[in-house]
Amino acid sequence: MSDEDALGADMHRLLGSLEAGTSAGDQDTLERLLDGPLDPGSVPPGYGGLARLLAAATAPAAPDELAGQQRALAEFTAVMRSTPPTLSPRRTVVPRKVFTIKAAAAALVAVLSVGGIAAAATGHLPGQASPVAGQAAATTAADAAAQGLGKAAAANVGGTAQAGATDAQGRESAVGPDATGAARAGLCQAWQSGQGDDHGRRMDSVAFQALATAAGGAGNIAGYCKDVTAGDHGQGKASPPSVSAPPTSASRPGNGPPANPGPPAGTGPGGHGQGGPPTTSG
Amino acid sequence: MFGPLFPELLAAAQGGDEQAFAALWRDLQPAVLRYFRVAAGEAAEDLAADTWVSVIRSLGRFRGDERAFRSWVFTVARHRAIDWRRQAARRPTISVPVEQLAERPAPDDPVAAVFEAQSTRAALALLAELPTDQAEVVALRVLGGLEIAEVARIVGKRPGAVRVLAHRGLRRLASRLEAAGLVRGVTR
Repeated sequence: MSDEDALGADMHRLLGSLEAGTSAGDQDTLERLLDGPLDPGSVPPGYGGLARLLAAATAPAAPDELAGQQRALAEFTAVMRSTPPTLSPRRTVVPRKVFTIKAAAAALVAVLSVGGIAAAATGHLPGQASPVAGQAAATTAADAAAQGLGKAAAANVGGTAQAGATDAQGRESAVGPDATGAARAGLCQAWQSGQGDDHGRRMDSVAFQALATAAGGAGNIAGYCKDVTAGDHGQGKASPPSVSAPPTSASRPGNGPPANPGPPAGTGPGGHGQGGPPTTSG
Repeated sequence: MFGPLFPELLAAAQGGDEQAFAALWRDLQPAVLRYFRVAAGEAAEDLAADTWVSVIRSLGRFRGDERAFRSWVFTVARHRAIDWRRQAARRPTISVPVEQLAERPAPDDPVAAVFEAQSTRAALALLAELPTDQAEVVALRVLGGLEIAEVARIVGKRPGAVRVLAHRGLRRLASRLEAAGLVRGVTR
């Protein structure tokens, strides 16, 4: 704020007090009320009702205030499909080293539009589309890796594949990717990188249940995956799918408030795993 | 507010990640909707949706931190509110003077509702009864969680003027509520 503005503010404050016949203490109270909710008991006499009103106005979101989510997401999906997303710096840095920018962009656009369509499908066809989404994304991950598109593209697809898995997790009818097929390598690598503290949580997801089924039981996954990472799919280390790339916090189940699948807020069963606790606006 | 998570969320949303966008939407939508309940009454839901359409279309070009994002979303929202008021003024059947709005029968007495149930809708209805410029500034400050300088930029006024408008609005509400409270306290 410039000196002129500060002076202006002071003059306005002075004028304001003269006008309303209020003291500097009142000004402070009003500013504190504007900054955030105050306990009605802690404000000077005459401001209790106002404190209550402002607290009510900034109360945590009610479920009906989030009722427009499907509409907003449908719009988001439609716009993202018609206009390929801007290539953010994060996405362009690595491919630039490996390919020409043009080739990398083409690969990303192709890959992202598959993801976009998959996402659109999960948004509109609950109960049906998520296996397709998961499979499509995972298959693309494997294909992309197999064709030597490099780490960056594979990592991007990995993120999409995992988002698919997250969606799938929220559904009763969801079926994960076919873990015996093209998705095997990706699932195995995700499983291996997930061994540790949160290993158990990963195994909750439909995708990894599919892996367990394909391996003939959760206890056999290690053995089942050994073959894959030994290289019999010809992918080696050039295809780190979902987990080795830092996924977005939102597309990772249970990793924080934003995407934490909580009790559905008014969307009922068959929601999209986005029923986390309403975040307050303040 | 997402704090340190925000840049990653924004980048993901800009890259087309539906869940990242949903997280941003859920964080801001209640505030945007409440802003419109004050600024545009019954049209709030539609205007909030329109605001998000604009935000989504320009999301890829947005650069800035979380405060800037918030500020930008409310800048878009205010444009929608102004357009709506302009259109409403051109349609005599829809245009209702502010004075009449205050006299309209509400489902509940907002003052009573604020006192008794801390109802958000009732509180917003009372804010909406303020003169437009005061209501706007109070809504952006309190509901939008924006700072004086940010509100000043959005409404195109000097910070000092914004402060005065906000204080006037709050004093007006305080007197109204206290008067109602006194009456209620006396009534047996």
